[in-house]
Amino acid sequence: MTHNEIAAILQAVNSIILGKKHTVKLALTCLLARGHLLIEDMPGVGKTTLAHTLATTLGLSFQRIQFTSDMLPADILGVSIFDSELKQFTFHKGPIFTQLILADEVNRATPRTQSALLEAMEERQVSIEGQTYSLPEPFFVIATQNPSSQIGTFPLPESQLDRFLMQIEIGYPDTEAERILLSGHNRKQMIQQLQAVISIDKFIELQTAADNTHAAPALIDYIQQILAHSRDSGHFHFGLSPRAGLGLLSAAKAWAMIDGRDQVLPEDVQAVLPSVVGHRLQPRDEHISSDHVKDMIAQVAIP
Amino acid sequence: MLGLSLGASPHFSYQPLWVMLIFMTMIGWRCMNLWRNWPLPSKQHRSLTWLQLGIAAIATLLLVRSYGNFIGRDAGVALLTVMLGLKVIEIRSHRDYYLSCFLGYFLVVTNFFYSQTIPTASLMFVVVIIMTTCLISLNSPIQSLDSRSRLKLANQMLLQAIPLMLVLFVFFPRIEGPLWGLPQDAYGAKTGIDDSMTLGNISQLILSDEIAFRVKFDGDIPNQSVLYWRGPVLWETDGTTWTELTRKKQNSATPNISNTHSSYQYSTMLEPHNNHWLFALDFPTTLPITLKTHLTQDGQLRADAPVRQRVQYQLNSHTQFQFNVGSDVHLADALQLPADKHQRTKQLAQQWRNHTQQPSELVQLALDHFSQQNFFYTLSPPQLAGDSIDGFLFESRRGFCEHYAASFTVLMRAAGVPARIVTGYLGGEINPVDGVMLIRQRDAHAWTEIWIEGDGWLRVDPTAAVSKERIEHGINTIMPFSMRSPMFISHSRQLFDIWQQLSNNWDALNTGWDQWILAYGPKLQKEFLSKLGMPAPNWQSMVILLTLSITTLLLIISLFLFYQYKRHDPIVQLYQRFCNKLARLGIVREPSEGPLDFAIRACKQLPTYQHQIMLISHQYTQLRYSLEPSVSLVEYRREIRQFNPKQE
Repeated sequence: MTHNEIAAILQAVNSIILGKKHTVKLALTCLLARGHLLIEDMPGVGKTTLAHTLATTLGLSFQRIQFTSDMLPADILGVSIFDSELKQFTFHKGPIFTQLILADEVNRATPRTQSALLEAMEERQVSIEGQTYSLPEPFFVIATQNPSSQIGTFPLPESQLDRFLMQIEIGYPDTEAERILLSGHNRKQMIQQLQAVISIDKFIELQTAADNTHAAPALIDYIQQILAHSRDSGHFHFGLSPRAGLGLLSAAKAWAMIDGRDQVLPEDVQAVLPSVVGHRLQPRDEHISSDHVKDMIAQVAIP
Repeated sequence: MLGLSLGASPHFSYQPLWVMLIFMTMIGWRCMNLWRNWPLPSKQHRSLTWLQLGIAAIATLLLVRSYGNFIGRDAGVALLTVMLGLKVIEIRSHRDYYLSCFLGYFLVVTNFFYSQTIPTASLMFVVVIIMTTCLISLNSPIQSLDSRSRLKLANQMLLQAIPLMLVLFVFFPRIEGPLWGLPQDAYGAKTGIDDSMTLGNISQLILSDEIAFRVKFDGDIPNQSVLYWRGPVLWETDGTTWTELTRKKQNSATPNISNTHSSYQYSTMLEPHNNHWLFALDFPTTLPITLKTHLTQDGQLRADAPVRQRVQYQLNSHTQFQFNVGSDVHLADALQLPADKHQRTKQLAQQWRNHTQQPSELVQLALDHFSQQNFFYTLSPPQLAGDSIDGFLFESRRGFCEHYAASFTVLMRAAGVPARIVTGYLGGEINPVDGVMLIRQRDAHAWTEIWIEGDGWLRVDPTAAVSKERIEHGINTIMPFSMRSPMFISHSRQLFDIWQQLSNNWDALNTGWDQWILAYGPKLQKEFLSKLGMPAPNWQSMVILLTLSITTLLLIISLFLFYQYKRHDPIVQLYQRFCNKLARLGIVREPSEGPLDFAIRACKQLPTYQHQIMLISHQYTQLRYSLEPSVSLVEYRREIRQFNPKQE
């Protein structure tokens, strides 16, 4: 039953985002594992479309913020304005008060604004003028970065990158998918017509189910070996943090559930590993291994 | 760097100053480069090359001048030290660091050519730890491993090496002969009794705390006053120097010992002194079994080969005996005196001789002369110019045992009584910690033997006439504290006692070290192995045995580790069997390949067995990774047993 719903979600998203089944599956995994997603790719490959489609399919409220260098935290979080009728300040919620927020080109904003967003991501609440406002549940951030033109940008530091469960790339569609895209309907309109496949309650149930996927001691051993390898092999400047380890486990669980299994296999870990740890590890020898995570998979034996 | 300096430091005392100077300059330069960023000669400008060539050339020249050639221990070590210094300033790549490290280990080994004491060994152990730490740092580029944990790892590794070290120590074949022999110059001058005696050369020994030999008595310990340790016997004199009988005069007859009483059994551990003689309690009545020795006519126990390593031998001695009562072939030699010397002494002897002809009375006259005529026993006798015997007897009257022995012998010979000088040691100190008697260089002594018809050779110690304490209580009672202990504690009796206690413990430790570690040579090894049931193996078979036993040991350890790693999990073992079956067909699972990925790959290559492969892989993942597996171990085992893929 669960499996059917997931299949339906994937099918709906894949009908809009063409030829990117693996990426879509990773993005869904990220949301099911309650993680925030960072998409790093060129403009126009469908980052916004992917975020929007996911929101609609999962029945989540959606907001998009285009980050610019003159943006202030209040532009995201909201602002208190004096109400002359009530004779008091009232808080006007910013765009962050939504279930799925697309932070477009997050590296264009100043570190101050970035940190306002990232703090909200971590705490899942916003504190303004002594008042604490809870963010809606579930709450996701899908942030995008444009890697090509870094002039005038503020690249996210490692500590901030660590808050994103996954970083994925979308990439160009293949010839076949592109042909369908070019000859087919307008994607924007299609999203408008798209219906939610499941309810929010159902979605939260799925998240819980993903969390309950069984990870055997043998699998925990494997994850530990991966963590140990990242710390001791000397290939990376810093090893993976415990948070990265937890994220890896929950992502692997969600992936296993999407694949319709109630136990996590080493393959699941391997499938999510590049997206989960890719942005957290800096290879020591940068020009040697661009595929450092794949090398890492090959080097760690499955216990 | 520290390791290299420490490793080289003992060489200061053995190497010429310039060698160490070059070495330390290079090390210092490099250190300043690392800390303060001082410039090093750069390779681009060729200055490094020229500098190195220059120093190397100078060093080579100096070496040839100092040692004559490059062969030999000292020259070799000096060359190694200088070149290592040069290597240090040109360290650039990883490889250079490795090379320096390994050369450092080699430097550690060279230290043992010179000294094998506990302090050296401990210092070198520290150096080895530092070197190993360096190697660990070189091999792990991770900064997260701080220097303390690297040090810890080095210690762990060395501790793990200890069992292997013990096995090698016990079983590595010890070979007598040139293979392990050090070059000739390894046996430099040693302090100790010489085969000749000039007035003044024994009193030089008095300041030496060095141990000459150790004795362990089985049973009773003789009185201090009979602890005469017999060494070289001196007959011939040219007026100043006394020497042994020349070789051609010596005959092979053994001395005739009779009427023996008071027997003592003891074993001696003699420090190497590069000479033939062995010291024995006067007078040895058995020959050692463990050494090839002979007893000369004048009662010296001599080894056939010079004592170049610490030797141990068992002896039986009698402190009461009669020696060559009948006659002695060398009596004429015992009356020889240079014709034109010692005129005043000869006159005195002639006066006595006119008085009496009885040897025993003559002896008494001479001893009375010493005790009544204001003679003093002193550790620092004045320099004697001219005829030293006359000078001592009639002018200075201050002397050490050798003065008394020599002048007494001259007096006796001049009076017509056959006499000779015996050198050796007198006394010894029992270490209360382990009951071993230590005889040090400062216990060196010289006394006289005269021959009397009917009594044979009799020991007369003229020193006793002057200083009874020296004979009865040993040299320590004569020596002030200040000569026996470090300066700062010499004024306090209590501190001195503590110091004494400490040095006793240290001596006991050294005795153990010498007895159990350094003395473990071919003989002890043979004995030990025959106790283990391997009688008299030759070294070839021992090498084979050693190789075999170490291989077995390592094999057992690696198997043990391997099994621990696999943890005997039947699910994993069975899966391993499944993988092995596929591997026989050339489908080998990568260690990092997940079971499902592997199954899919295997199915592509073996479509016929697709069903079985998928089933087993599914069962495996269920059993290994599921909370509630949907299959039982029995089914899984049966499936794997029935799985027998064949190449299509």
